[in-house]
Amino acid sequence: MDVSLTRNFCIIAHVDHGKTTLSDRLLEYTNTVTQRVLTAQHLDSMDLEKERGITIKSHPVTMVYPAKDGNLYKINLMDTPGHVDFAYEVSRSLAACEGAVLLIDAAQGVEAQTVANAHLATAQGLKIIPVINKIDLPSANLELCMKQLEDILTIPAEEAILASGKSGIGIQDILEAVVARIPPPRWSHHPSTRALVFDSLYDSYRGVITYARVFSGSVKAGDQMLLMSNNQKSEIKEVGVFTPKMTKTATLDAGDVGYVISNIKDTTDIKIGDTLTLARNPASEMLPGYKEVRPMVFCGLYPLESSDYEKLKAALGRLRLNDAAFLYSSESSLALGFGFRCGFLGLLHMEIIQERIRREHDVEIISTYPSVVYKVKAHGADEIEVDNPVNLPDPGTIEYICEPTIKASIHIPNESMGDILALIMEKRGMCDHTDTLDANRVMLSCVLPLNEILVDFNDRLKSVTHGYGSMDYELGDYVQSDLVKMDILINGDPVDAFSSIVHREKAEGKGRVLCEKLAEIIPPQMFKVAIQAAIGGKIIARDNVKEMRKDVTAKCYGGDISRKRKLLDKQKEGKKKMKMIGKVNIPPDTFIQILKN
Amino acid sequence: MDGRVMAMSEIEFSLNDAFARSPLGLYVHVPFCASTCDFCAFYQTTPTRSGVEGYLNAVRQELELVRLRKPVDTVFWGGGTPGLLAPEDLRTLGDTVLGACGQRPAEWTIELAPASVTDARLAVLKELGVTRVSLGVQSFSHALLDALGRQHTREQVLKAYARVRDAGFASVNLDLMFALPGQDLAAWELDLKTAIDLAPDHLSTYCLTFEEDTKLWIKLSKGQVKLDPEHEARLYERTWDILDGAGYSQYEVSNFARPGHACAHNLNTWRMHEWVGIGPSAAGQHDCLRGANTADLDKWMEGIARGERMTDDRVRLTSGLLVEDAMVFGLRMNVGVDLQALKTRFPAAGWADLDRTLTRLSEQGLVERTEAVVKLSRRGRLLADSVGSELVGVLSEA
Ligand SMILES: Nc1nc2c(ncn2[C@@H]2O[C@H](COP(=O)(O)OP(=O)(O)O)[C@@H](O)[C@H]2O)c(=O)[nH]1
Ligand code: SF4
Ligand SMILES: [Mg+2]
Repeated sequence: MDVSLTRNFCIIAHVDHGKTTLSDRLLEYTNTVTQRVLTAQHLDSMDLEKERGITIKSHPVTMVYPAKDGNLYKINLMDTPGHVDFAYEVSRSLAACEGAVLLIDAAQGVEAQTVANAHLATAQGLKIIPVINKIDLPSANLELCMKQLEDILTIPAEEAILASGKSGIGIQDILEAVVARIPPPRWSHHPSTRALVFDSLYDSYRGVITYARVFSGSVKAGDQMLLMSNNQKSEIKEVGVFTPKMTKTATLDAGDVGYVISNIKDTTDIKIGDTLTLARNPASEMLPGYKEVRPMVFCGLYPLESSDYEKLKAALGRLRLNDAAFLYSSESSLALGFGFRCGFLGLLHMEIIQERIRREHDVEIISTYPSVVYKVKAHGADEIEVDNPVNLPDPGTIEYICEPTIKASIHIPNESMGDILALIMEKRGMCDHTDTLDANRVMLSCVLPLNEILVDFNDRLKSVTHGYGSMDYELGDYVQSDLVKMDILINGDPVDAFSSIVHREKAEGKGRVLCEKLAEIIPPQMFKVAIQAAIGGKIIARDNVKEMRKDVTAKCYGGDISRKRKLLDKQKEGKKKMKMIGKVNIPPDTFIQILKN
Repeated sequence: MDGRVMAMSEIEFSLNDAFARSPLGLYVHVPFCASTCDFCAFYQTTPTRSGVEGYLNAVRQELELVRLRKPVDTVFWGGGTPGLLAPEDLRTLGDTVLGACGQRPAEWTIELAPASVTDARLAVLKELGVTRVSLGVQSFSHALLDALGRQHTREQVLKAYARVRDAGFASVNLDLMFALPGQDLAAWELDLKTAIDLAPDHLSTYCLTFEEDTKLWIKLSKGQVKLDPEHEARLYERTWDILDGAGYSQYEVSNFARPGHACAHNLNTWRMHEWVGIGPSAAGQHDCLRGANTADLDKWMEGIARGERMTDDRVRLTSGLLVEDAMVFGLRMNVGVDLQALKTRFPAAGWADLDRTLTRLSEQGLVERTEAVVKLSRRGRLLADSVGSELVGVLSEA
């Protein structure tokens, strides 16, 4: 099979630099999708993706392009997830290509993800085609972008193509560069069939659909395929390409990007980054770069109405089908009832799953505080991983606790330097070094505990820099840290949903805020009720629920008894729904109100 | 006879047995008012000649429908404004009621609006044997009366009180309200002092309640007036102290009396005995039923003509319901609840569970108890509704 007329590439960019818009323009230019069919932003098909402007699922598409050299090229465009949570998926999508179009918003210049993505692409051995996009904008600063290209990314400025996805400028130039500069598919002469699995999807009619890039050999319906990571064999039922809708083909050959449907039942068997080969002449070596992805962030998800438990369970099952990186198992909480412990790649992944449960599956849920995975060693025991504070061993027996860190690169305007350094300090981070990006911007390289960026780091970064700051990160090492479990007690009884693992120095402040909030939200009680934050047996903060002063009906005669009785019966029903903690009846939405913000 | 019916009649039998020696009250609702007060949620309508005549007739018919199985001990005429009836109508109503009582009631109360108090009416009431007059004063302050939409003045109140006293009724009550919009502690103390100076036998002091569908309620929901439980609590406690000092002992959340002047009719309802309700919107509890008449003069009369009464909120009494209500409503009384007597009356209730709950409430300083009696503490009295809701489901679920 001749691969010289095939090109595989992806577009990489900082969020909002115009990736989706440009992709649409390319599809339109190559008549892959007619203008009429092209809903704006064709590739982001999930509502959520459109709303948030991020790509969550990969959407490959095959185009045919008659180049100026007179040849008809088959060009596969891979869309890559646009967020660090999905860094591994991004790296696998990149690994399926030979080149990348690197978009730079002409008005914004190079940003954190521009750099991170460019590094990822270089690491995968991809040829980079720099494109300065949105040149139609009056605020476009081509000179600056060129300079940044050279200074920050060390890419020669004369390679840059000027384009505007919106106005359709430079589209042909980009396609010509893809054909001319990106090498034809690599590793096509390997003696066995090898295809890289870069995504999978569950379709209720067709079952599990595997997205794959064939490097060598070919696959077709009827072949026995073999997944190399787990030695799972199954029969291929159909292969095809995305145009962009799934179109059946006779074979998928070296260099092709497409889909494979087999009789695999469970998407969890399809591991992103795996190598697909054929059982009859299996490859001896996997394609490089495979690793098991493991969730980094955990939280409890509970149905708001306990009667929705089964519905939530079904929703999680369905989401899992399309998302092997998402894990869940059942758990229960005194405060919240029956629910699930869920693991995610990162915060955005967590938010997206929660959103989808609410929207696509119509279940109202409440989530507990997110937690990272700690490594904990107790005396006389092996090191264990703890993703739920409830499972922390007795504090007295703990030898050490390690927490995961991230290596972040943060791009900010010069004048935000002071504020950002303070923010990094507050979040227990350390700044390794700073690099000047240009006259106005600097890049900070720092190490931060993952736990500290879970909640509001990005929002704070944006607000301190008036929206101009951006951040990218990769996971760093586990480091030992002075971490403790903080419990919240109501009238002496711990509320499991509020337990958290925090740094000792932050416990008191956090505890005080929580106690205050709870004391405010719990309705006034007939007797004094203390809300306390405690580490082990030691109380570090306390507040009191308001004491009820007056609750008595003035007039209560023969004619009022029935009405009063109805009220009492209603209260009795209400009480059944309340959670009794520390002899205090707590309305179920108390926990929800606290966990909501 | 099948088993179910057997069981039911056994319950009725035992309930009737429990009620056999208990007192019987008769409440007559007179549904006429000249105008509607801003805080009032009682059923009332403007009187017309035909309305009054129809009413008097229907009262007679309703009393015939009720088979009173024992003589009536207490009568209470409430409203509305019973005193709005003309003297001869009052006499007609009184004769009808007396005819049904089977004996001269030991206590017979009538509520009178100060503006309706005339010598002619008082004379009729006296002749009939009314023993107790309750005057709806609410306040002695012009401004506050105005704000309540009340139709009388301070002077009318004083004159009415003097007339009632002169007529020589055995017991006279004044109804007062506090925590009125714009009323501070000093203003309330002044009203209380004025009342005490008149030396009535009984005082009812009501913390203003915002009843749904009243003009005040609308003001509240529009934010024109505000609730202030702390202020209300202070006024409550001040009231208790002042009246105690003036020789009125509190016997219920809102009721105070000189020795021997507590209202027997109300005590009986709080103890979950029996009373018959006559007239539109009147509630009753007797013959194993609890319920109320429809709150509409015409519909009530039509119903009575068909032989129907107690059509609203109708429930069959059970020991469980009664014992629980005897606790919840009984605790509002300062003497508290005689647990020993209640146990004798309802032996099968969940006494062990109650004991646990009461122990907890007493640890929390809300009730005080001895072996035989449980009562609210001073703090518990201010929280009587919350305490009551703690008791719901405890006794009845045995
Ligand atoms: N002026 C201008 N705006 C653009 C251009 N390309 C994209 N945009 C706008 O930039 C925003 C982000 O575009 P999108 O394609 O979703 O970016 P992505 O996040 O990289 O996929 C949208 O509001 C687009 O309309 C362009 O060439 N010129
Ligand atoms: S007079 Fe009494 S019953 Fe009539 S409206 Fe006023 S408060 Fe209500
Ligand atoms: Mg996009």
